[in-house]
Amino acid sequence: MIAMLIVTHGNLGSEMLKAAEMIKGKINNCASLSVDQTRGVEEITREMLSDINRLDRGKGVLIFTDLFGGTPSNISLSYLKERKVEVITGVNLPMILKFFEIREKCALTEIAPQVADYGRKNIYLASEILARKIKG
Amino acid sequence: MPAPFNIVLVRVDNRLVHGQLLEAWIPRLAAESLIIVNDEVAADIFRETVIRMAVPKEIELNIFTVEEFARTHQFEKGEGKKTIILFGNISDALRAFQQGFRFTQLNVGNIYSEDCVLCCSRAVCLGKKELGEIQALLMEEGVSVELRGLPKDKSVDFREFIPAGADGRY
Repeated sequence: MIAMLIVTHGNLGSEMLKAAEMIKGKINNCASLSVDQTRGVEEITREMLSDINRLDRGKGVLIFTDLFGGTPSNISLSYLKERKVEVITGVNLPMILKFFEIREKCALTEIAPQVADYGRKNIYLASEILARKIKG
Repeated sequence: MPAPFNIVLVRVDNRLVHGQLLEAWIPRLAAESLIIVNDEVAADIFRETVIRMAVPKEIELNIFTVEEFARTHQFEKGEGKKTIILFGNISDALRAFQQGFRFTQLNVGNIYSEDCVLCCSRAVCLGKKELGEIQALLMEEGVSVELRGLPKDKSVDFREFIPAGADGRY
């Protein structure tokens, strides 16, 4: 089973996991990591490594982060070369739910682009949908 | 010598380019150019690529080693692109100053030393080394050093944390 780690500013990650569990029920082999200003980059980096090692059951870890260019994302990217991880930035709930649906079906390298794509496609501007309906 | 820059901020931040810089400082100062002065990033193509992707395309981005930067840049205000100079630690800022980049004000964002001896805020914990380097900037070089994470935060003068020298001067 591919593991999941969600790394964000503040408690966004743990709250997103809670929201996902509200919809899907209890979810295994996943964790969240909160990045705030009270801890240095080295300490967070160490904690992330221990999370990755703990979660990984051989199939790798999909890491979600909130903001490309932000500290949670910067630290996550530093593990791309040395660990079996993929990093998806700009996390949203649809992509988390999609991941849980397909996490046992294929390999990490196949799942990651599918999940990222799904997250991108699930952003709608409601008034545009409405306009389309009226037109159509 | 490169084209003149209008330097609007000289900042030290352990996290280099991150949310605070991208979402707060760059828009608030309407910066048009960012110079990262850091030996590790200058030698790491992966980190450089990530930073280039994160910084908005309309911002000119340059990355230098400390030595190369100090040799080729002077502190300038006035003409040219509004520019932010970003160091990863106090030591690099002090080194650049001593090698010729004579800034007058230094902004400190995030510093987290593992051997903290002085905790100035949630985001700034100084070790003995950093403390000495800030003292050198304040006392020997006459630089004014402020603690300020975000543009909206109150600027706090580092002299509030660091005692004056025996002669009462900084």
